[in-house]
Amino acid sequence: MGGGTEPILRIEHLTKVYEGGTRALSDVSFEVARGEFLIIIGLSGSGKSTLLRCINRLIEPTSGKVFFDGREVTGASQQELREIRRKIGMIFQQFNLVKRAPVVTNVLTGRLGYLPPAWSLGNYFPGSLAQGAMANLERVGIPEKAFVRADTLSGGQQQRVGIARALMQEPQLILADEPVASLDPATSHSVLRYVEELNKKDGITVLCCLHFLSLARRYGTRILAMKAGQIVYDGLPHEIDDARFKAIYGEDAVEVEIR
Amino acid sequence: MAVKELSRPQPAGSWQPTVWYRSWKFYLGALALLVVYGYGWRVTQIRLGELVRGAHLIAPFVVALASPDVMTRDQHVQAAASPFYFGGETPPPAASGGGARLMLSRVTGGIGDRVTVIGEGFVPDRRGTLWWENQIGQRQQLGSFTTDAKGRFSLAFTTPEVQGTHNTVSAEVVTGTGPLRASPTLLIVLDRMVETIFLALMGTTMGVILAVPLSFLGAKNLTANLPGGAIVYGATRAFFNIARSIEALVLAIVFTVWVGLGPFAGVLALGVHSIASLGKLYSEAIESIDAGPIEAITATGASALQVVRYAVVPQIVPQFIAFTIYRWDINVRFSTVIGFVGGGGIGFVLQQYINLLQWRQAATALWMIAIVVAILDYASAVVRERIV
Repeated sequence: MGGGTEPILRIEHLTKVYEGGTRALSDVSFEVARGEFLIIIGLSGSGKSTLLRCINRLIEPTSGKVFFDGREVTGASQQELREIRRKIGMIFQQFNLVKRAPVVTNVLTGRLGYLPPAWSLGNYFPGSLAQGAMANLERVGIPEKAFVRADTLSGGQQQRVGIARALMQEPQLILADEPVASLDPATSHSVLRYVEELNKKDGITVLCCLHFLSLARRYGTRILAMKAGQIVYDGLPHEIDDARFKAIYGEDAVEVEIR
Repeated sequence: MAVKELSRPQPAGSWQPTVWYRSWKFYLGALALLVVYGYGWRVTQIRLGELVRGAHLIAPFVVALASPDVMTRDQHVQAAASPFYFGGETPPPAASGGGARLMLSRVTGGIGDRVTVIGEGFVPDRRGTLWWENQIGQRQQLGSFTTDAKGRFSLAFTTPEVQGTHNTVSAEVVTGTGPLRASPTLLIVLDRMVETIFLALMGTTMGVILAVPLSFLGAKNLTANLPGGAIVYGATRAFFNIARSIEALVLAIVFTVWVGLGPFAGVLALGVHSIASLGKLYSEAIESIDAGPIEAITATGASALQVVRYAVVPQIVPQFIAFTIYRWDINVRFSTVIGFVGGGGIGFVLQQYINLLQWRQAATALWMIAIVVAILDYASAVVRERIV
């Protein structure tokens, strides 16, 4: 399966209503072609994070369908879901590393989906994986940090560990949930450049939530804008003009540049 | 953006707070308190006078606390004896041994006779004791003496009223003392203290082994996604709360009935109580972990077991260790009293010493408890600080 013109991700009428009645997503449909760097923008609470988590079912959608690489995610059994998830890397705003564990262990956990669960009881990883983890740490430029505790690293370094962890999965798709929202502007660019490299060199499709339109314009090949759980814009980065910006962010919004 | 007015509008009427001594509520409250404490004083039978009147009863214990039975010396004793018979029968001549001998002014007589004893050949310039020993070997002291420069002494005594006719007068002089060594009491107390510490260790271990798996079932964030998770969570928490509400001392009594007197009953009592206490603490530690790593590792396609191993366990290990050491610390303290109800350990001998009014021995046990608990308290604080 897969390959060719089949989109890597197809989302059909996705709706998520939380317990208590909050409607985070309502009837969202779109497709993502292979190799895209798709950026999702929108205000806090517009449903960006929920959308990303519904794709790999960290959050169970209320209705609608998600297809990844031709397989239906939404109807998958637990075993199938694990197989799908391991092809979808994810990086997070708060990095979500195990703080007390060494960096290399954090990177290795990216491979857990491929390993027999019993191995984890003995904390066993094959030697070839350890080499792979080191190679990925080198790729994100912090091989010397492999054996220090994850929480001793700076924010930017921790996010690079997060990227290395996602790389261990050999993913076809990376979901990035505001990966630079906790970082300063310079570090933000450095982290996003690593993501861009994965997109361009390795051909990994990227779905990335961002706050700053300037970053979205700089890195995205396509932009989705969300508002109140719906897609209000789907197009090319440079086409977002002042009128569209106000439609997405509200009349009072002023665009802040981040360089 | 305009700054929001935070101060609230004043209420319409000009309300004045009542001064406390003008408020009838104050007097009502004071009266209620008076009644409560008055009744409490009565039902708990507080009689402060007893503290003074009973002081002489506890005084020996206070004195004993300052001189616990800890060390002892072997004494070398030089002894000589001479028989004294009631009723006119002439005894055999006294056997002299070790150079010392006793000569009595008379060797037969009746109760209440005055007898003079002369001793020779003793170590000079030492204090000694004169004993009266009856036919069945019961001893009573007749007096004490000090030998002169030639090792002689002379003492007069009145023959005491005893059963039997064949008596012996003996003199003992302490000629020297051996090196200081631990007293038998100290050895017994040490032995029981070791038993106490291991009682606490076994009880804590039993608690940990069962509390760890249960605590995962008692953590809301882990059970929430399981089928029937709410029921499992509720049942586990209910067990923790019920088991915790039963004092370990009560459990110890129950277990002594079940498995008999001794440390095993104590281990079971501490174990069951520890399961509940540790389980609750562990569950709360699991509930307070950062959900981020769980989310991240789940997203890699890891199984539930792998998520627990790599996202949950690393976060809870330090807290689990800290709680366990803390619990062991509590259990050592508690196992000192569990012996009072027959659960083994140092409390068992402490209770015996107190019941037999052996205050110096009781003091030894109390000091032992105080020192060991203080050391463990300090050690556990240091370890917990290092880990967390």
